[in-house]
Amino acid sequence: MMQLDSPIFDKFRVEFDPNELIFCEFEFGNEFYIIQSGRVKIVKVINNTEKTLDVLEEGDVFGEMAILEEEPRSASAIAMDHVKLLRFHRDNFDALLQGNPQMAYKLLVIFSKRIYDAKRRMMILLLEEPQLKIMDVMNMLAEQDPHLDVQGPISLKVTIQEVANWAGMQINDVQKILTHFNQLGKIELFNDKIIVKNIRDFQRLVNSRRKSNFS
Amino acid sequence: MSNGGTAGISTRVYKSGSIVFMEGDKSDYIYILKSGRVILTTKKVEEKIWVEVKENVKPGEFFGVKSALGKYPRDETAQTFGETVVLVLSLADFERLILKNVNVVKKMLKVFSNQLRRIHKEVREILGVSDSVNPEFELYKIAEFYFKAGRSKQALFAYRKYLEYYPDAKYSGNAQQRIKALQSGGDADDFQDDFEPAPPPSSAASSRENYDDLTDFTIDDGGSSRHDEFSDLMEEEPAKPAARSPLSSEMDDFLSTEKSEPMDDFTFDEPDLGGGASASQDISEIFYEGMRLFSQEQFGEALEMYKRVLDFKTLKNDGERKTFEKAHFEAGRCYLKLGNYNEAMAAFSGLIKKFPQSDLVKNALFYIGMVFEATRNVEKALTYYKKVASMEPKDQLNREAMNKVTKLQR
Repeated sequence: MMQLDSPIFDKFRVEFDPNELIFCEFEFGNEFYIIQSGRVKIVKVINNTEKTLDVLEEGDVFGEMAILEEEPRSASAIAMDHVKLLRFHRDNFDALLQGNPQMAYKLLVIFSKRIYDAKRRMMILLLEEPQLKIMDVMNMLAEQDPHLDVQGPISLKVTIQEVANWAGMQINDVQKILTHFNQLGKIELFNDKIIVKNIRDFQRLVNSRRKSNFS
Repeated sequence: MSNGGTAGISTRVYKSGSIVFMEGDKSDYIYILKSGRVILTTKKVEEKIWVEVKENVKPGEFFGVKSALGKYPRDETAQTFGETVVLVLSLADFERLILKNVNVVKKMLKVFSNQLRRIHKEVREILGVSDSVNPEFELYKIAEFYFKAGRSKQALFAYRKYLEYYPDAKYSGNAQQRIKALQSGGDADDFQDDFEPAPPPSSAASSRENYDDLTDFTIDDGGSSRHDEFSDLMEEEPAKPAARSPLSSEMDDFLSTEKSEPMDDFTFDEPDLGGGASASQDISEIFYEGMRLFSQEQFGEALEMYKRVLDFKTLKNDGERKTFEKAHFEAGRCYLKLGNYNEAMAAFSGLIKKFPQSDLVKNALFYIGMVFEATRNVEKALTYYKKVASMEPKDQLNREAMNKVTKLQR
């Protein structure tokens, strides 16, 4: 499919041993990567624990925010196996696209998703009532899984900490509200998931508030 | 751009005022304006307020790209003004077309990346966190994190990066000392890294605490030898035809290596007789405190909360009984995170035995699979994952179990 093994790319090839850091959170990044073989995990140190955000495989792209500008990396990338990568500096971006339009298409898809996610999150943040924010986090998570049957109870894989991050709220406040929802029987709380009894209730409430803000 | 590869592309003619697509629609078509006029109406945030923005599509331009590519509902409404002709592309058409026009892609990427940057900036403003982090200190903290976790390879990398960016900064001296120490101190191999549910640093303390409960093995924070200890334990044990035995007796096998079942003595049908040690505090408060701690990855502390819940001798109503039941499960998850696999197993199988009707049984079986996976007993892990994958009603957990099966069989 992709001609990444072409000799044109030879000078971009780099290899990493298992457990080697490819880049480190808060390091400045000018390069982005395409995996040719092996697996790479994307991790972040949160509350003194390393948390795995994603595991990437052959053909995946990471570090792509560096295409835009030099910014501190938001997470670290660690080789899980012996990993072969193509590493491109922002300045080589044009050359890469010319030689490999498939990659360009892939990047378009990645950016489309990121923009939507960021916009969707902003919709949550701009709600005023904390309860609605939290409901809307549930709505957003439900939207992300097209297989969910929203007619009945749904199970969302999310922790309280993650809900707090999405909603831009303090964890203690989030917990109070979730506990309250739980007591009302609207949701059932677990460590790693939340079961929402009737997500359509939440959607209705949030949408009617959004509409009234607009008119 | 209409030569070759455009066989599937169709042309549509719209009257003035027609809607090509509406905000909220789901569709993966992408459009090119051929002639006429299309106005996109979308909402944007300016100064923390939503405003409606209208945008003109120029002839020859694409629209509806992002939502189609990202597979999200439309975030804009497209309406025609005057008689308008558009080309309609499927995702495959679009891909074929742009692969021949890399410059178009480049332009789009520029536009997209600018949008993304603007949105990120707005999000930071709403959150009020703009530029409050100091990347210098944060980078140093990452290095320290890996240093303290004994992961010298990663620590070295991060300290070196720190010195590369900040040769004369506040922590440069410390960084240099750390590098020296790491280079001279022999190589502390990173066994921890390829061990899947890596116990967090705090696990050392709590596994010590439980030392007496374990008969055959314990988790040593030294790390390197424990793989062997586990595989030994696992191999010894199913010498009998355990693979074919029913699930419940397999759990007994696993548990039989323990002196006692930790969660044995409780009754929950008795009338209120004053309760256990912590009767003064509400059971659900303690439980949710456990959940909060867990979500902040303070697994040892969370476990203490769940243990307190499990100490309750009297449960007043169904709600409390349900909380009590859930605490078995959540305690098991804490043990798993802490790398205390025997206790994790006891908690999950305890739940299944004591509450066979619970809707958590399926989850508990899945987690038993995870315990086996973590202790490198692939065969048994597979048995449990397969069991979960076949259970009704089918939900997300079935898919996850299937994924696990595929992964382990690879």
